[in-house]
Amino acid sequence: MRKKEYFADSEEASLLYREEFRDMKTEEPEVAPSPEKDKFEIIGKSTSRIDGEKIVTGRAPYTHDIKLRGMLYGKILRSPHACAEVISMDISQVQSLPGVKAAIQLKKGRVTYAGEQVAAVAAVDEKTAEQALKLIKVEYKSLPFAVTEEKAMEEGAPQVRKRPNVQKFNEYTRGNIDKGFKEADFVLENTYKTAVEIHHPAETHGSVAKWEGERLTVWDSTQAIFGVRDGLARALKIPASRIKVIKHYMGGGFGSKLGINDYTVAAAMLAKQANKPVKIILSRRENSLCVGNRPSSLQTIKGGVKKDGTLTALYLKNYTSGGIGRGDYCSEPVVDLYKCPNVQVEEHSVFTNTGASRPTRAPGHVQGTFALEGFLEELANKINLDPLELRKKNYSTKNQGDKETPYSSKGLNKCYQLGAEKIGWKRRNKRPGEGNGKVRRGLGVASQIWWGVGRAGTQADVKLHPDGSVEAICGTQDIGCGTRTYMATITAETLGLRPKDVTVKIGNTEYPWCGGSGGSTTTPSVAPAIRDAALKAADYLKKMAAEKLKAKPDEINITKGKFSNKNDPVQSIGYKKLIEELRKERKFRREKVFHGEYVGRPSGFAYNTFGAHFAEVEVDVETGKVKVLKVVGVHEIGRLINKITAESQIIGGITQGVSTALFEERIMDNTTGNVANPNFRDYKIATSLDIPEITPLIVDTVDPRINNLGAKGLGEPPRIPPAGAIANAVYNAIGVHVREIPMTPDKVLQALKRKEVD
Amino acid sequence: MTNFKIAEPQTIDQVTSLTIDKKDKYKLMAGGTDLLAEIKDEIIEPEVVVDLKSIPDLSYIKKEKNGVRIGALTSLARLAEDTLIKNEYPALHEAANSVASPQLRNMGTAGGNLCQRPRCWYYRDPQVKCRKKGGGRCFAFRGKNKYHAILGGGLCYIVHPSDLAPALIALDAEISINSPKGNTTIPLTNFYTLPKINVRKENILAPNEVLREIKIPLIKKEEKSTYSKFIERGTWDFAIVSAAVKGTVSGGIFRDITIVLGGVAPVPWRLTKAENIIKGKKITEDLVRKATREALKEAKPLEENGYKKELAEIVLYRAVLSLL
Ligand SMILES: Cc1cc2nc3c(=O)[nH]c(=O)nc-3n(C[C@H](O)[C@H](O)[C@H](O)COP(=O)(O)OP(=O)(O)OC[C@H]3O[C@@H](n4cnc5c(N)ncnc54)[C@H](O)[C@@H]3O)c2cc1C
Ligand code: SF4
Repeated sequence: MRKKEYFADSEEASLLYREEFRDMKTEEPEVAPSPEKDKFEIIGKSTSRIDGEKIVTGRAPYTHDIKLRGMLYGKILRSPHACAEVISMDISQVQSLPGVKAAIQLKKGRVTYAGEQVAAVAAVDEKTAEQALKLIKVEYKSLPFAVTEEKAMEEGAPQVRKRPNVQKFNEYTRGNIDKGFKEADFVLENTYKTAVEIHHPAETHGSVAKWEGERLTVWDSTQAIFGVRDGLARALKIPASRIKVIKHYMGGGFGSKLGINDYTVAAAMLAKQANKPVKIILSRRENSLCVGNRPSSLQTIKGGVKKDGTLTALYLKNYTSGGIGRGDYCSEPVVDLYKCPNVQVEEHSVFTNTGASRPTRAPGHVQGTFALEGFLEELANKINLDPLELRKKNYSTKNQGDKETPYSSKGLNKCYQLGAEKIGWKRRNKRPGEGNGKVRRGLGVASQIWWGVGRAGTQADVKLHPDGSVEAICGTQDIGCGTRTYMATITAETLGLRPKDVTVKIGNTEYPWCGGSGGSTTTPSVAPAIRDAALKAADYLKKMAAEKLKAKPDEINITKGKFSNKNDPVQSIGYKKLIEELRKERKFRREKVFHGEYVGRPSGFAYNTFGAHFAEVEVDVETGKVKVLKVVGVHEIGRLINKITAESQIIGGITQGVSTALFEERIMDNTTGNVANPNFRDYKIATSLDIPEITPLIVDTVDPRINNLGAKGLGEPPRIPPAGAIANAVYNAIGVHVREIPMTPDKVLQALKRKEVD
Repeated sequence: MTNFKIAEPQTIDQVTSLTIDKKDKYKLMAGGTDLLAEIKDEIIEPEVVVDLKSIPDLSYIKKEKNGVRIGALTSLARLAEDTLIKNEYPALHEAANSVASPQLRNMGTAGGNLCQRPRCWYYRDPQVKCRKKGGGRCFAFRGKNKYHAILGGGLCYIVHPSDLAPALIALDAEISINSPKGNTTIPLTNFYTLPKINVRKENILAPNEVLREIKIPLIKKEEKSTYSKFIERGTWDFAIVSAAVKGTVSGGIFRDITIVLGGVAPVPWRLTKAENIIKGKKITEDLVRKATREALKEAKPLEENGYKKELAEIVLYRAVLSLL
């Protein structure tokens, strides 16, 4: 089922998520880590971003800022047809335009969505390149297409791919679903719908390619520099060793920049032809068409429950559309989040003639959680149970979907407790919609499960210089989450220094290997690897200090720039002094590199992150307008590494969650085959006035075995529950569940009508 | 985007003396917030952009004995901040303040706001040639039409995007137009035309005619006004439905009332029927709602925009009651 292409589109990248997190086990570490005993001074507190000043003053270089001598600008010609055969193409006219330096044909045969790239040019400036595109003559034979799920599912609909438009891709069963329904006192069935969202990072996609002989350097706005390198190697058929990929700073990706892109390959090809560097930056419109989206879902859940709230059965049928891509696995929350003996799932792709989906911050879980949590809310009402109690009642200490494996750590109960206190859960309407008046308030909750493990094999170096300076080096990339900062804090903590004493180097494939920044893997990969390297550096320094202090290395304590004897703290030597003496004694004259790695975690446990969000909303029952007043987001993520950036992560997740709960939807037009809203005027994103009061809370536990710090990831978790919590709060306010996001006024009004009928 | 030249006229006469030998040759530009977007998206491809900002003295707000005069090049930000407007013509103040974002209000002008082109997404799609762009069909009619017109459609179902227009019409504003045929002053309400008059245009202006000035009569005793705009998000959004209401009111009764809806039709939509029902009666929520329902009986919603009818009722009754 995989496309034989190299690109991070659809299947490849989203399969990667599942394979890595669910099915793939890591190697057993030789010594199981035991991070609980460690006490820290900097780790877990708030350290401001070490690059914050550079970013907010505009001095941090983004890919958009790259300007090289003699650099050309590339533009891409895209298919105006949602489905067509490219009959012929003539690019010969292009060179007649002064300033045009290269042109390539990129497509033969069939185009399957409007916006697919067919040719590219490079010229001395953007305007010339744009004009050159008009000189390319393409003859298309346009073919029938289906760009909406409804159309694609109709009988006799035009076939999007070389297989039926609707195709099952996932099944799961545990227990016996019919038995589960029989055991239930109540059975409920509802259908929930989520729209296609577009990632729309602030920085649009783009790359700069430059050849020096046989060597290629690419600056790319990417979440995965090594992924881009390896993808380029395959696409261009050159050894990976000849390619260097650099990414200094980027303005967001959210999953849409997880691998090689076709325009990056085009930039490299144009650069080769022109023998000059080429820069390609996509427009906002292009960002709406061809660099991914979050698949839609149409999920029917049927569930059974006993009077006391015990779940007896959960059945999910999902139709998900990721355009020409496969769509998302949305069933994970139904399978894993709550204890339930009888679960059955079937998931189907619905192919449409639209750009392929890509992982979008918590792919599948966002959609699945919206449906499951909405369903539980309605179920709780059915049996007159506090929805929070229903969730607690079905608390699971094992990952049932993962062969009933016990969780290595799970702090969800604590999340419920803290969140309920903070929001004032008692204030909720005991009966949904019991309030009166034109503007009604309600409270809602939703929980979350995600992975959050690291990638085994992640490497990092700590380098000590004879002048005492320190580098922390890793081929990871900071996609905006604060990676640089925690690399500095962990190294500093371990060596008894201050974060500002550490120079951090990342974003270059010449540094030690690290995987792409997706799946909430970056912190649990990079942090343990850098900690490992720093511990080795500390061991070396301890040994040296021990010699000076006439003690044993394991008797040496490092704190605040000082090495001291645990048993006799008066016996001490400063970090600077130690290095200076070693240098004088000619023991330390060249730089020393300490290599660290994250090797893996013990098997026999499930490693997951958890969280619960509580939302308070106000709904105008006459206009259908929803205003989110408050969201409290509580997360259990193992050890907290940096409080302030972790809180930012939660605030960001909730901000996106609010935006998609209320506004965001890519709209396709069945007549033209085009995206109707490929801009920020019509694709509506929350404005600052739409963002509620947000309270991020973190349950700081230490996972006893996941890695040497006991830390899990937090990239995706806070993005998962907001829409569910908000929709449930709306339900609590108005007494009817909207069951669909975005909850625009027209849909809320429609739901209110459903209530009148009920 | 195609290349174009910039013309910097020093007087309005230089603009009106331009010969229009072919369509789209000249385009007038005020703040450029709409025009440049149209050019960049290749919706229009003018050879010459005539920069009205180079003409001196077209930006002013002046109170005189028979009314207030507003220069066409007055920025929306200035209009929104002006205390005279704020105190005497709250409807205009609120309308100006509700337009887009601070950046757009700084650049956009009053004249440009009244003359801006529609936001129908088919019109704005460079790959689509709909009826408004000289093509043969209206894609919105059976297409994605959640934001389209419920009134005054036929041939084309745009809604007029301007927030100033309904407010100014409710305030009985007139506009002065400089034209090669001479200069005229007409009520703003006569400026706008339905698609059935000319589907390619939203108003009566020819390419070499300039909207020069807006005039609003002095307020009467006990005159009150308001502009209420319903949008999907917190700010920076075009109206789903808006209502401009002006009237003289005392003791809970309107002696006269003018109601103009925005966001529902290709032109600002006067609700005369509702005005007549409301006038002279004790105002209640129920009365206004009934009046709106009566007036909107002629509405013909498309597949996805029926909710606008309900919203109009709510927005309007709330606006009217807010003036009591
Ligand atoms: C993202 C976005 C959101 C927006 N939201 C809103 C909103 O909520 N409410 C709203 O009302 N508007 C909104 N607008 C529209 C905005 O208010 C207009 O773009 C602006 O008012 C136009 O003024 P301008 O001076 O920039 O006009 P220009 O862009 O210069 O001109 C607009 C049009 O009017 C013509 N024109 C301008 N001045 C004259 C004149 N004096 N005589 C004759 N013809 C003239 C031009 O030829 C052109 O066709 C929004 C625009 C954007 C881009
Ligand atoms: S409503 Fe008007 S502008 Fe929109 S598609 Fe129809 S004809 Fe074109």
